[in-house]
Amino acid sequence: MIYGKIWLHVKPGVGIPVFLGAVAVSSFAVHVALVTNTTWVKRFLNGGTGAKAAMVEQAPVAMVPDPGTTVLVAASPQASK
Amino acid sequence: MSDPTASDPNRVWSTGLTEPESQELHRHLIQGTQIFGVIAAFAHLLAYIYSPWLK
Repeated sequence: MIYGKIWLHVKPGVGIPVFLGAVAVSSFAVHVALVTNTTWVKRFLNGGTGAKAAMVEQAPVAMVPDPGTTVLVAASPQASK
Repeated sequence: MSDPTASDPNRVWSTGLTEPESQELHRHLIQGTQIFGVIAAFAHLLAYIYSPWLK
């Protein structure tokens, strides 16, 4: 097996905890970064309506004007023919 | 005359292991890493399906 002789030079009592620790610390750091840099993870983990809101948050929203506002639509004369 | 670079399977190295012991330990470590990887991949698949991740 490739690199199988590493344990002739690195003490397993040192190498294995360093290896497992590196995996644990790096994966934990990635997940902490996800929780701190996004808005949807916290809402999703809280459950309830927050989870649904987190799912909907990413969906594109159609532009709907507020009631009572006037919407001006420009149209070229050729478009009406 | 024997080759001085050839590894002696009975030689105990500075870490206290022989070469077959080192190979066996490494095999277990690789197997554990593979099992961890499969479980992690499955967990990420579940997260992808059931959470808003990447949607």
